[in-house]
Amino acid sequence: MQKPIATTRSATGIPTGRLAVWWVLASEIVIFGGLLASYVMHRIGHPEWAVAASHTNTWIGATNTFVLLTSSFTAVLAHQAAEHGDGRTAAKYLFMTIGGACTFILIKSLEWTHEIREGFVIQANGFWSFYYTAAGLHALHVIAGAIVMAFVARDAMKGRELHRVELVGIYWHFVDVIWIFLFPLLYIAK
Amino acid sequence: MSEQHHPDYKKIYVALVILLAISVAGPHVGLKWLTLITAFGVALVKANLVVENFMHLKWEKVVAKWVLGVALVLMGLFFAGVAPDVMEHTGDRWVNNAAIAAVARGIPDEEEEGAPESGGAEQAAASTETAAAPAPAAPAFSPETQFKQVCSACHGMEGKGDGPGAAGLDPKPANFTDPAFWADKDDATLVKAIREGGASVGKSSAMPAWGSLYNEEQAKQLVAYLHTLKGS
Amino acid sequence: MAHASATEAHAHEHATHEHHGPQGILKYIWSTDHKVIAMQYLFTGMFMAMVGGFMAYVFRMQLAFPGKSVPLFGYVSPGEYNALITGHGSIMIFWVAMPVLIAAFGNFLIPLMVGADDMVFPRINRLSYQVFLLSVLVILSSLFVKGGGFGGAWTSYPPLSANADYNLTPLGSSMWLVAVALEFVAFLLGGINFITTLMNSRAPGMKAYDIPMVPWMIVIASILFMLSVGPLIAGAIMLFFDQNLGTGFFDPTRGGDPVLWQHLFWFFGHPEVYVVLLPAVGIVIDVVATFARKKLFGYKTLLYTAVATGVLSFFVWAHHQFIAGIDPRMANIFTVTTLLISVPIAEMCFVIIATLYGGDIRLKVPMLWALAFVGEFLIGGVTGIFLGASGADAYLHETYFVLAHFHYTFFPIAIIGTFAGFTYWFPKMFGRMMNETLGKIHFWGTIIPFNFIFIPLFVLGLDGQQRRIYNFQNFPELQHLQPVRILATISLVVMLFFQLFFFWNVIQSWWKGPKAPRNPWKSNTLEWTTESPPPHGNWPADEMPKVYRGPYEYNHPDREEDYWPQNLPA
Repeated sequence: MQKPIATTRSATGIPTGRLAVWWVLASEIVIFGGLLASYVMHRIGHPEWAVAASHTNTWIGATNTFVLLTSSFTAVLAHQAAEHGDGRTAAKYLFMTIGGACTFILIKSLEWTHEIREGFVIQANGFWSFYYTAAGLHALHVIAGAIVMAFVARDAMKGRELHRVELVGIYWHFVDVIWIFLFPLLYIAK
Repeated sequence: MSEQHHPDYKKIYVALVILLAISVAGPHVGLKWLTLITAFGVALVKANLVVENFMHLKWEKVVAKWVLGVALVLMGLFFAGVAPDVMEHTGDRWVNNAAIAAVARGIPDEEEEGAPESGGAEQAAASTETAAAPAPAAPAFSPETQFKQVCSACHGMEGKGDGPGAAGLDPKPANFTDPAFWADKDDATLVKAIREGGASVGKSSAMPAWGSLYNEEQAKQLVAYLHTLKGS
Repeated sequence: MAHASATEAHAHEHATHEHHGPQGILKYIWSTDHKVIAMQYLFTGMFMAMVGGFMAYVFRMQLAFPGKSVPLFGYVSPGEYNALITGHGSIMIFWVAMPVLIAAFGNFLIPLMVGADDMVFPRINRLSYQVFLLSVLVILSSLFVKGGGFGGAWTSYPPLSANADYNLTPLGSSMWLVAVALEFVAFLLGGINFITTLMNSRAPGMKAYDIPMVPWMIVIASILFMLSVGPLIAGAIMLFFDQNLGTGFFDPTRGGDPVLWQHLFWFFGHPEVYVVLLPAVGIVIDVVATFARKKLFGYKTLLYTAVATGVLSFFVWAHHQFIAGIDPRMANIFTVTTLLISVPIAEMCFVIIATLYGGDIRLKVPMLWALAFVGEFLIGGVTGIFLGASGADAYLHETYFVLAHFHYTFFPIAIIGTFAGFTYWFPKMFGRMMNETLGKIHFWGTIIPFNFIFIPLFVLGLDGQQRRIYNFQNFPELQHLQPVRILATISLVVMLFFQLFFFWNVIQSWWKGPKAPRNPWKSNTLEWTTESPPPHGNWPADEMPKVYRGPYEYNHPDREEDYWPQNLPA
């Protein structure tokens, strides 16, 4: 499909795609913000949740944090390559990022399986309800991001739509930032 | 693809990993205030590094910073407006008995909290059915918690008959700290009043019948608790 | 065209937009053209308005003639009554007001009014309608599933909404929630398009203060929506889990808090009313300027006031919760902010009135609707002040006074504003002129009965009649008010009857109304510079408009004509 002339204009000086991504991030901030604010209110008001929280595995959480940080690193390297017009390298780094995403999801699946087997299910108490909801919503964003990234990588390999590498990267960094806050909230504040 | 600014991404990445290590190590020192700093302070620093350098916000037009900033400020506003109701459990002339009871109840450590206590709400039956956890032992019935959660609304937290719901009642709810109340009551009457309502023992019909929530044994435990309120 | 002398191939290559979209019937279902998508939203919204209106008819008949079989429906059971009022409220807000005012008018007008050939993301635009359509299917089918449609009111407070033992509609309540969530996603997607198109894709020469009010208002509304809906999306996930997974987010016996839901809901719910108000005000402004032949009085004032309203709208939400048990200190704060927000809104009404003053007023049908908007909305606004004061609200909350207040705001927004815009832009959208006489009959046949429905409801509310009651004959102290209820219901039936004139007008005009010229109203804004209806791409690719002045230069002293289109060089 031919791009409309509208898409190519830029009265703000920011390319249209990137401008849109900032707005997407704003809407995501309020979604996660609402959920996490609700969690924090309850967590502070219910000190007895510390008992439940003590059962999260800090090492697994830290490993996943490391995985996401690394995937953010590869994502920005992809952006750097795309800026130089090197679609193949950009795609290579994007696939590494997707690999990080899959690793994250894999670790999380194992973690959750273990926790559910122990009886720490979503209905167990307020802490676990928030734990699974918040981490689950985040994980959905990881999966969605990985899927979109795959499409962008496929185009990038052919040298097409290279500007999208940066855009999907910005989204990916945001998913990383959410986890940067989820990690202390769910794994360290015990 | 406008900005040509590419900071040293590798350096930033290394800094991020080091900060992660600090936040993991923090709790092991054992100081609560230090843990909070290492956990959340580090999170803020890491987030800032990612946002400024990986997302290139440092070099972006200012309108993008406004867009994100406004969203963040709104979340602060949301927290400020809601926390007084949800985070706090008492306020200006109100008490959240259910939340206080939940804190008092605590969470048993060995097993998760499967079914909630049977008192206090009609949801008990429904939530027992929907809980998918392997069935744990039901938590012990705590008459004190039930009193605080259910009875105190009219009878007051100390049983003086001065709860918030008492304002519109005449006669006032029973004052369990008053020796005069106990002078002419036996336990069986009190159990009946609890389970079948005030009118069943010749008292005010404003006292509901709680028989669907408390069986005979539980009502007896409640009455035993009421005795402890005497002369307090 | 300027390139008449070029060779045929050359002209084809340059003058048209190289998009050979879907042909035939697929064009109406699969197109990415913003005008087609606008029509999809418009017709879906109008269909849902009929559904919502029918629901109102049924439950009002039950209230006026309790226990009697309602013609075209049958007997109304208490559960059905609850589902009808819930459906009416939800549908009117989420599936009528928003799609028509924001998605339909926004999609059609924003690219045209800023001089663009389409929205910046046409495929996301198409996706937004598809998600929206899915939400329509879910909410409509929720009415027919086992147990019936959700009856816990559009505010869906737990524990009623969380627990099927209470609401008795296990499937219906979850489907309602899913439908609302899908609608939110659709408008988030759409909002990105509107905001980005306005910010980036304006015609060369169109500075910020040259943008007409309609795009501005729709974009501010989209921003308000995007920023306020987040916590409610989080809340909806939590409620869905409470409903289906047995979590206890809002269950007080399990450490949850139902008041949290209220806050999550109203943090969105209050800005939401300005989300629908601002586009309606924008439409009224454009109509008034055109038919008063006068420059808008205070463009910048109006713009900053709209932004101020938007900002303030985030600080008033708990006035919906004054008697829910929130902390009284919060109630104090919210009373002050709520009373404050009446100031910018009144300011907007003053701007409109000041624009009218001294104008060369033409009372065409769109202008009649615009004027009616101001008068009726004023009633809604001032009655809001009673409710914003927490002391008075302690008595009035949950009575019919509230109902009358918000119908005096919502009806002007969703119905009067829509008709103002529809009759104004019909020539551009469909290439035909509507019939003025039928339009006037429809107008008076709507406005007069409207007041006879809702003024009585103020009376009922002051007399203590509560909302959401199935049969007032069950309340001895309210029985004597039955004649008032019957009056309101009969007025509703009369008003619904007069809508037939509208449908007849639309069909007849579309079929064989006089062909519309490019600019029948002699208006300044860019959409009137192209054909009626505009072709794909809106203007030939090499003739995209440039802008030389603001949108409201009517009766300018330097000019002989009483209007001065934005795209004419000086």
